[in-house]
Amino acid sequence: MRFAAYLKSAGENLFGRSRADYELHEELAQHIRARAEVLRTSGLSDAEAERRARIEFGSTEKFKEECREERGGSWLETFWSDLRFGLRMLRKNPGFTVIAIFTIALGIGANTAVFSAMNTVLLRSLPLPHPEQLVHLILPNNQPAGAWNTGDGDTSFSEPVFEELRKQKEAFSDLMAYLPLSESKAAVRLDDEPEEAEVDMVSGNFFSGLGVRFARGQGFTMDDELRHTQVAVVSYSYWKARLAGNPGAVGRTIYVKSVPFTVIGVSGDGFFGLEPGFSTDIWIPLQNREDLNPWGNPPTINTLYGSPKWWCIKLIGRLQPGITKAQAMAKLDPVFQRAALIGLGTLDPKAPKPLLALRDAKGIEGADSVYDQPIKILMAMVGLVLAIACGNVAMLLVARNAARQREFSLRMTLGAGRRRILVQLLAESLLPVVSGGLLGWIFARVSSEALAAWSGMEVPFSLDENVLLFTLLISVACAVAFGVAPLRSAMRAPSGLGVKSANLGGNSERKGRWAGRLVIAGQMCLCLMLLVGAGLLVRSLRRYETLPLGLRPDGVLVFGTSPMSARTDQEKYVFYEKLLDRMRAVPGVESATVVENRPGSGWSNNNTFAIDGATPNGSFKEVGMRANDVGPDFFHVLGIPILLGREISDADCRQHLKVAVVNETLTKRFFPKGDPLGHMIGGEKPGEMSTIIGVAADSKYTRVGEEPIPMVYFNYSAGGSYSTVGSISDMHVELHTTGDPEALVPSVRAVLKELDPNVPMQKPMTQRAQFDESYSEARLFARLAMFFGIIAILLVATGLYGTLAYRVSKRTPEIGVRMAMGAQRVQVLRMVLRESLVITGIAVLVGLPLAFGGAQLMRSMLFGVVPGDCASFAGAVVGITLVVLVSSLIPARRAASVDPMVALRYE
Amino acid sequence: MGEQAQLLPGTLDLLILKAVSLGPLHGYGALLRIEQISGKALLVEQGALYPALFRLVRQGLLKASWGTSENNRRAKFYELTAAGKRRLRQEAEDWKRLVAAMTSVLGAEPEEA
Repeated sequence: MRFAAYLKSAGENLFGRSRADYELHEELAQHIRARAEVLRTSGLSDAEAERRARIEFGSTEKFKEECREERGGSWLETFWSDLRFGLRMLRKNPGFTVIAIFTIALGIGANTAVFSAMNTVLLRSLPLPHPEQLVHLILPNNQPAGAWNTGDGDTSFSEPVFEELRKQKEAFSDLMAYLPLSESKAAVRLDDEPEEAEVDMVSGNFFSGLGVRFARGQGFTMDDELRHTQVAVVSYSYWKARLAGNPGAVGRTIYVKSVPFTVIGVSGDGFFGLEPGFSTDIWIPLQNREDLNPWGNPPTINTLYGSPKWWCIKLIGRLQPGITKAQAMAKLDPVFQRAALIGLGTLDPKAPKPLLALRDAKGIEGADSVYDQPIKILMAMVGLVLAIACGNVAMLLVARNAARQREFSLRMTLGAGRRRILVQLLAESLLPVVSGGLLGWIFARVSSEALAAWSGMEVPFSLDENVLLFTLLISVACAVAFGVAPLRSAMRAPSGLGVKSANLGGNSERKGRWAGRLVIAGQMCLCLMLLVGAGLLVRSLRRYETLPLGLRPDGVLVFGTSPMSARTDQEKYVFYEKLLDRMRAVPGVESATVVENRPGSGWSNNNTFAIDGATPNGSFKEVGMRANDVGPDFFHVLGIPILLGREISDADCRQHLKVAVVNETLTKRFFPKGDPLGHMIGGEKPGEMSTIIGVAADSKYTRVGEEPIPMVYFNYSAGGSYSTVGSISDMHVELHTTGDPEALVPSVRAVLKELDPNVPMQKPMTQRAQFDESYSEARLFARLAMFFGIIAILLVATGLYGTLAYRVSKRTPEIGVRMAMGAQRVQVLRMVLRESLVITGIAVLVGLPLAFGGAQLMRSMLFGVVPGDCASFAGAVVGITLVVLVSSLIPARRAASVDPMVALRYE
Repeated sequence: MGEQAQLLPGTLDLLILKAVSLGPLHGYGALLRIEQISGKALLVEQGALYPALFRLVRQGLLKASWGTSENNRRAKFYELTAAGKRRLRQEAEDWKRLVAAMTSVLGAEPEEA
């Protein structure tokens, strides 16, 4: 009943408005007529009765407004009319509208893009059912001493540990194993053309345990694992990209390392596998073939099923429903402690105990430790940009609404309620914020794709509901801030004043100016912090770029190979010798060699080698060494100077001589007396040692940012660093070219195909590009920070310019008087500039300590630069001062060019 | 005009309900009836009557219809709905209780020790 009455009232109000308004008018008029008749009967004249009746009634317009507000749905109606009014106001000021919308879009877009990166890397759950039940198994203490590791020391487990843990059914409903087939990508062939793809071998319950949906076909069964079936599942994106999304893909054959696999399924869209930051293309069941050994390992050393000491399996578990991580740990730990000993015998009691831990499968596995802080700092930086942007829009709104004070007080005099004006301001701010938010969302979509590509992530930064919610939240915060900011000045407008005079109270004007100065100073403060951060990151990047590598990275082409046809050491050696011969014959190739770990790729062999039969004692930091297995001419091809002796030659390789070259740091640390030539290095037994034949200058191995570490280069054809037979790995080929290395790729590819059609050219690139990749995060952060810095500068400059220009235009008469009284143009110029410079000075004084504090938080992102780097701070201060000068100069010059006569006449 | 009391806040609605309960009225009629039955002791601001009438219509306590006034003019007449009658009864009882309580409080004599 009551609701029906409301609806009827609202319906009449909203849909029969003109009639309802007419009736309201009629009703009140009728009242006044009736009253006037009564007054007439008491003896007043017609006109007087009418007048008295109106006076007694009061303001009809005010009561009409109150009646309208009492009608149902009035808030909707007033909001709608406010919205239309706001739209009209925005159309009337297109310049203002465009600037406001773009400023907001920039702020919201940048925040959304960076938040989407943060979401993907740190927060997002796997796109699987009940992702909260999924946990990665990790080893906080790394693998136990004596275990062979894979390079992913804190996430790889041995096969016995996996088998024992998966029997523990009380903790996990499923425990899934996954292993990459290769350290990077594996050779795959669909038709004739060999290519590379990310291939993981997984346990039989991998898809069922994770709950992966399938676009086509199905996943594996336990039977597939136990019988090592040659079947494969391809990812949705691989299916789309390489199999043209053909439904007939299920059933066709894919050659993985030249072993045929039948495709039985295509995983659902959005599942990129579990490899951190990469998308897995193909999954196969766990294999026990030696040519499909995981991690690209030569089977002569370790195999998945034959080497209990080899900790190579990554594990992800699905907790039983209702079981907490702590409860699961209580069940798992005793099993783990027992199983960890299998293959290792007893553990060194002094060594740290192996520890098992569970980590929520959130974001990108392993990426949180690397990206956690940088992403938070980026988030803070874009937050600052947004704050500056908001400052500008708020100032714009305040300035515009100050000019509208007459309008507000007029409306209040005519009976508009304060609430009504608040709603109107909110409606007006909603429009630019909503359109700015939409534009920002589009901007974020584009830029997050670029951001993902830039940062080398294969997984797209998804704009999911988390990100949408974030964007909505900051948009609403902006809308409220912009609605409320001008409210004060609107409310201050005393009713009645606006009608009488255009003159504004001097007092409120002064207050407004102070608030404006405060906002500008705050913006400069934030801008200064951003500039300091950007400066530090850019200087770190410069350090990376200019750091001598100890080798000549230009003109060197590198690519990976994996000769499937060659199994034994001898076959492999023959393959690589033939390959080098052919490569050297390619026009444009000056020299060629092979190397096990590509310099600059992050991979290295770490070990402590015995010198003359004795292994040095101490921690890895004190006595640790790194090694690489290299082919003939290695130092010549890469331009690493030989300081003493000679390098490994073709003859050494042909005769499989156990020879090695060491670097300067190793010589200094282990041969303090000088000459290491002729000494032995490698294992402790005679057959495992190599003779040192040369000393090379230090050069960068894994990445640009590393410190020099003692280093041994072994002859790859004579056992290399493994010191055993059967240990030639898949090698990378290095070519020193006379011309542009990239231009050689097609002819090199053709030669390679001629040699073996199953061998793709893996990741061909210049050695320079490879080293550049080793600090790609630093480059990304520096570029982003620079980008944010530039946006901040532009925002501050436009904000300052706008405010000063507005103020100068208001002060024109005053300046006119001053000049008429004899003030010089220079004095006027100085007057305007002085104000901005004083504001800048205060902002710098407040901002410097803040920036200094912020810089301390960035310490882990800096390279070769201290957080208190003077150049960065000085640069930021100079930068902001320049911006202030430039953006103040134009309004200042306009003030100085005021013609006193014109100004005074205007007054 | 004699002594006129300011209306207590919130009492206007009750007055209107009471006035209208004696027979359908247009706005001015309601004003006159309140003056009449209060013996001109209560003063209602003329314009303020209308927002209150609109509010009561929205709340479903009154219904409005156009009709012809005593001197043959079109006028909007208000009458009580069933919900309005219930509300009037309820509020009148509340009011009586409040008045009784207030009277006894204000009539209390100081207790001489």
